[in-house]
Amino acid sequence: MLDERLVQCYVRGLGMAADQVTAELAYNSRREWDSVGHMALVAELEATFDLMLDTDEIIGLSSVAKAVELLAKHGVELAS
Amino acid sequence: MLVTGASRGIGRATAELFAAHGARLVICARSDQLEQVAERLPARGASVVAIRCDLSDDAAVRGLLVQCRKLLGGLDVVVNNAGIMRPGLLGMQSAGDIAQMVTTNVVAPVALLQYAVRLMDRGASIINLASIAGTRGMEGVTAYAATKAAMLGLTLSAAKELAPRGIRVNAIAPGFIDTDMTRALSPEWHERRVASIGLGRSGTPEDVARVALFLASELSGYVTGQVIGVDGGMQA
Repeated sequence: MLDERLVQCYVRGLGMAADQVTAELAYNSRREWDSVGHMALVAELEATFDLMLDTDEIIGLSSVAKAVELLAKHGVELAS
Repeated sequence: MLVTGASRGIGRATAELFAAHGARLVICARSDQLEQVAERLPARGASVVAIRCDLSDDAAVRGLLVQCRKLLGGLDVVVNNAGIMRPGLLGMQSAGDIAQMVTTNVVAPVALLQYAVRLMDRGASIINLASIAGTRGMEGVTAYAATKAAMLGLTLSAAKELAPRGIRVNAIAPGFIDTDMTRALSPEWHERRVASIGLGRSGTPEDVARVALFLASELSGYVTGQVIGVDGGMQA
């Protein structure tokens, strides 16, 4: 079960339905998560969790599972 | 709005003019004069927060942008002004000076924009400060000119990349502007430069700030990917 705040980042950033957001969801696996959508997603993650990712982190944000890892690295506690 | 290098010169004049038009501003610089600038501005009806920041420090830049998001909710204008000049003939310029200029005048502005665009929405405007040295070349400041020419590439490319998102990117190329930076040049060099200016005088930081205000405003809503000279008809 993914943290609802994280799911909503994907919903707002990529315009996806909440039930389409799974840990396996990966960059470029769906039309919505292209390079343009990626930056909108990053903006949502940063605003929601009050952080500013560096460029390497953005490049490495290749899936929802990676997002969970990245947020943990920044000290964000997610519901699971 | 975010104005970098706002403690003096063109950055300070730009912050003052934006504040006079009621802007909500974050101003940043390394200098301890920054707070004095900020203290003067709110009296003009603006909201101004000063944040000391070394823009060559990536973590500090990210912290600056986090503050911008908290304080302003996002960014509608970024004035990428902070820069340094170390004059020197081509064969006499130290590697250290060149590296410093490249870091401050090229790497830092690119990095700042990488972060700042994430806080920008449709209608936002980015204003990069280039130089006539970068658009036309100028003897005695070759390495500096190279860094300012890089700002042109940054501006033209970012304008294309960000146009689909409705974000405009333009550059100002000041000529010989009366600032601490140009006052540090030799009197002979100074005199020769002023003699080459069609309008017969050096520019003021306010001359440049007024063009920045134009580029920040809706008056320039259909202008992107342009480099506007503010040089009084100077022959570089």
